[in-house]
Amino acid sequence: MSPIPVLPLVINGCMSALGSLATLKLIPAFKDHFISARLYGMDLNKTNKKEVPESQGVISGTVFLIIMFCFIPVPFLSCFVEEQCTGFPHNEFVQLIGALLAICCMIFLGFADDVLNLRWRHKLLLPTIASLPLLMVYFTNFGNTVIVVPKPFRLLLGMHLDLGILYYVYMGMLAVFCTNAINILAGINGIESGQALFISGSIIIFNLLELGGDYRDDHIFSLYFMLPFFFTTLALFYHNWYPSSVFVGDTFCYFAGMTFAVVGILGHFSKTMLLFFIPQVVNFVYSLPQLFHVVPCPRHRLPRLNPDTGKLGMSWSKFKRRDLSKLGNLILQVAEMLRVLEVKRGQEGDDEFVECNNMTLINLVLNILGPTHERDLTTIMLLIQSSCEITIVRLYTGGYRYRVGAPVS
Amino acid sequence: MSPIPVLPLVINGCMSALGSLATLKLIPAFKDHFISARLYGMDLNKTNKKEVPESQGVISGTVFLIIMFCFIPVPFLSCFVEEQCTGFPHNEFVQLIGALLAICCMIFLGFADDVLNLRWRHKLLLPTIASLPLLMVYFTNFGNTVIVVPKPFRLLLGMHLDLGILYYVYMGMLAVFCTNAINILAGINGIESGQALFISGSIIIFNLLELGGDYRDDHIFSLYFMLPFFFTTLALFYHNWYPSSVFVGDTFCYFAGMTFAVVGILGHFSKTMLLFFIPQVVNFVYSLPQLFHVVPCPRHRLPRLNPDTGKLGMSWSKFKRRDLSKLGNLILQVAEMLRVLEVKRGQEGDDEFVECNNMTLINLVLNILGPTHERDLTTIMLLIQSLTIFRHFL
Repeated sequence: MSPIPVLPLVINGCMSALGSLATLKLIPAFKDHFISARLYGMDLNKTNKKEVPESQGVISGTVFLIIMFCFIPVPFLSCFVEEQCTGFPHNEFVQLIGALLAICCMIFLGFADDVLNLRWRHKLLLPTIASLPLLMVYFTNFGNTVIVVPKPFRLLLGMHLDLGILYYVYMGMLAVFCTNAINILAGINGIESGQALFISGSIIIFNLLELGGDYRDDHIFSLYFMLPFFFTTLALFYHNWYPSSVFVGDTFCYFAGMTFAVVGILGHFSKTMLLFFIPQVVNFVYSLPQLFHVVPCPRHRLPRLNPDTGKLGMSWSKFKRRDLSKLGNLILQVAEMLRVLEVKRGQEGDDEFVECNNMTLINLVLNILGPTHERDLTTIMLLIQSSCEITIVRLYTGGYRYRVGAPVS
Repeated sequence: MSPIPVLPLVINGCMSALGSLATLKLIPAFKDHFISARLYGMDLNKTNKKEVPESQGVISGTVFLIIMFCFIPVPFLSCFVEEQCTGFPHNEFVQLIGALLAICCMIFLGFADDVLNLRWRHKLLLPTIASLPLLMVYFTNFGNTVIVVPKPFRLLLGMHLDLGILYYVYMGMLAVFCTNAINILAGINGIESGQALFISGSIIIFNLLELGGDYRDDHIFSLYFMLPFFFTTLALFYHNWYPSSVFVGDTFCYFAGMTFAVVGILGHFSKTMLLFFIPQVVNFVYSLPQLFHVVPCPRHRLPRLNPDTGKLGMSWSKFKRRDLSKLGNLILQVAEMLRVLEVKRGQEGDDEFVECNNMTLINLVLNILGPTHERDLTTIMLLIQSLTIFRHFL
């Protein structure tokens, strides 16, 4: 196994740090361009009606791409300069370029979505399109579709399972899931960039810990992407933190989700990566009834500001009793019984009305804590995120591994 | 040398045809999205003030990318299915992916330019950024920086010349040139998509003719890109033709320029390709004084409509005599003497005024033909483009 490529990693780190500074400067520099292009939003949880530039993920994403483009030949320099490699590692090179193609395409389509306000069905289609190059590269490079079965299912399915084409479906869906999971855990200043920052930070720690393991190359590959992502997102987070002077836009959620999917798939640690997504998964599952409109879903589900106290409280979805299906009613009752949903019932004129809190993780936290100031709420959400990451990393280094043999996980 | 990969080419052709139909349908389907996003323009040469959706190059570009993404494994299918290849041709695969990365990045940055209205210095920077993956792939794949010296210079420089790092500068500048050259030969309905259509069509013919030659693989590679480009642009041209119901935007000019640069560089026929760009080169050279503001340059240089006759005439740049530098004055005098520029001089109050026609190829043609209807003018410009091409093949 090859030694750790210290020089490329150091170069990558330095370029990432420079990229961070560049992003820090570029975001305020382009503010007027975005406002003129009408790419701005109003902060619904502030009393002032200032125009806040949107889609700033396009700036951090572009700096990321520039860093990566300049970095392309660096891991292979030893082949040219010292002629130290036995044969040019074409498959590693293809992997790098293919991954960048998927990410570049995703930033592009994400920005197009922000500008053109595409519909929900497009939000599922766009990541699928952008992940095509990834699937093609995987097909030609590895073609390995055998997974190690997670422990609970081994009695039923055996140790290994060849998913065949289902593995490609899984990869495509991973991209769709990661992008949208980050997108729906949103609504309070700094949460989108913050969660991505913490997830990427934990992946970096995980990669560093695994450098001493059997799959070093996979984790080095992941670091090449996660370091620039972390540093450019850090700069974005600085501007996006409470009170937000910029919003990240769907562009950022797409960009982040695809970058995570790429390192997870090509680094062969997608299952571990999903463990870092636990808050996003919980939020997604809790949101499912509203995402499928079984429980009525309003346009915005973010917490609501109480202008008198200056604190955020839960946001509510109000609808007529008779507009609710049997399944919806069942879900409401079960959730209320499990104490994860607050339901109010009342009468207005001839109609019976039902009100329930919007089914988001943020609302659930507000339910437990009571009305909270926005900055504190985001801090708590990010603490939850980091607690999950730390727990996973601890479990992992504590010897809990379910990977045996085959590198696919 | 390997046989002509008929099946991949046929598959590419079919996918391109489907892409053409898709683009044809998608452009009207997204019209409202673009208008709502305020990505529209007013046709300056029409009397009605209808909102015309802009940046439609983003639609044809996206369809192009989808076609190419789906096509990625096709040239290599024989390696998997029949296991006919001796070793997986990684370098060809890298070339394909690297080229797509450059084009995808260019479409993205081009669209960002259309949306955010970036400044002129960005128009030179963006293609350079997008061509980086191309340069990196070239460096790792070939690294060949030796060129065949054009005949006129052989006595001085010899047969071959190793440009070294200058070759990379040349490649980067080729991308910048192609994108902007298409961008400035503009202003009449259908000219941008039309010129790109004719150039790509001629490259396709050139590639097909060269399939029997020594560099077959290079030309097959070029066809893989030119076929989808041609067909998606054809659909765009249908909507962009006079009277335009959509405008292509800078997005399209960037997309087209980068695609041409990519096939020219990786197909090793960039010098031949530049011969297809002769009208663009002539327009560029003629425009230089205004591009460098030696001769004052207004915001728009497109021909002007005469509302009474319904025909287009030359557009003019008017400025004070004393605002003109010595160099500018010299250029005006030389150009006037060579009969490629019309200059009017006059007096208004205390100032001497000078008026000259905007220095574009379209204006030059109008100077020769006199006022012309817009549709006829575009047709003539495209005829000039195709004559240049036919001259090369004959």
